[in-house]
Amino acid sequence: MEGRLVPRMEALAQAVAERAVEIVVSAVDMNALLDGVDLNALLDQVDFDQVLARIDLDQMVGRLDLNPILARIDVEALVQQTDLGAVIARSSSGVASEVLDVFRSQTVGLDELIARWIGRLRRRPYTGPPGLPGRLPAGSGS
Amino acid sequence: MTARAGDAPRSSPPVIARETLQGKCAGFASRFVAFGVDVGISLGVFMLALAAISFAARVLTGTNIAWNKGDIWVVVAYAVWEFIYFAHSWAASGRTVGMALFGVRVVRDDGTDVSGRRAVVRTLALPLSFLLLGLGFAGILLGGQRRALHDVIAGTAVIYSWDARAARLRFLSRG
Repeated sequence: MEGRLVPRMEALAQAVAERAVEIVVSAVDMNALLDGVDLNALLDQVDFDQVLARIDLDQMVGRLDLNPILARIDVEALVQQTDLGAVIARSSSGVASEVLDVFRSQTVGLDELIARWIGRLRRRPYTGPPGLPGRLPAGSGS
Repeated sequence: MTARAGDAPRSSPPVIARETLQGKCAGFASRFVAFGVDVGISLGVFMLALAAISFAARVLTGTNIAWNKGDIWVVVAYAVWEFIYFAHSWAASGRTVGMALFGVRVVRDDGTDVSGRRAVVRTLALPLSFLLLGLGFAGILLGGQRRALHDVIAGTAVIYSWDARAARLRFLSRG
């Protein structure tokens, strides 16, 4: 008898508590309550430097795998559709670099064409220009 | 329908849109064109020097100097000048004027900067690649790291040193 009564009492107490909370919350005027709070004073009391000091940004960044995110970005479309292109264009040093870019791009295109034909003759798929075994990552040299 | 060996998928963008190319082994066309520019520049400078010497001799001593291509001294002077041009350029910065224009650079086969000794060895070995109908250059086409005979002898390689992807973005932004 006692074994069945206890769960029923608990359920009843739970229902009473939920109802009481509902009544209290509905009775409280949250706007008036928030009006009474001086957020500026509250924020003045928070030491953000201390909060930020406790965050290990290196660890957070280390957990992020940016490669899949970057792989989903169509950079070419982005540059064509946004002002980012204008920013990049301004950063270049004019006609001379434009001419150099064209020359270099054309010769790289020829390199690729030749390499693809050689690959076809040798029946080996061409997968792009090879690197050197001990070469540092791009951008760290030259 | 499958792609044949050696074919890139048709939908894939060009390599300069996908990669910076920096640090990748340079191909035959880039190297050949850069070398052609270097030969043109060095020959032009050499002929200007000869013309300047002739002019100075005529002004100072009143004698006319006629340079002959078959003259042994002209040939020796030209060979020495070419040696200085290439060896000094490679030792100083890893690139000649032509290589700088076309964004390629000489490095050691482990990717580090080329030393003066290797630059000299590479310059001396360069003529060997022209022997046997230029067979020494076949390694650029067929080798895994695109190295010519003089690269193998000197322990060097030629890599792209320009950011092709940034150039591609600049090109797109202009268009």
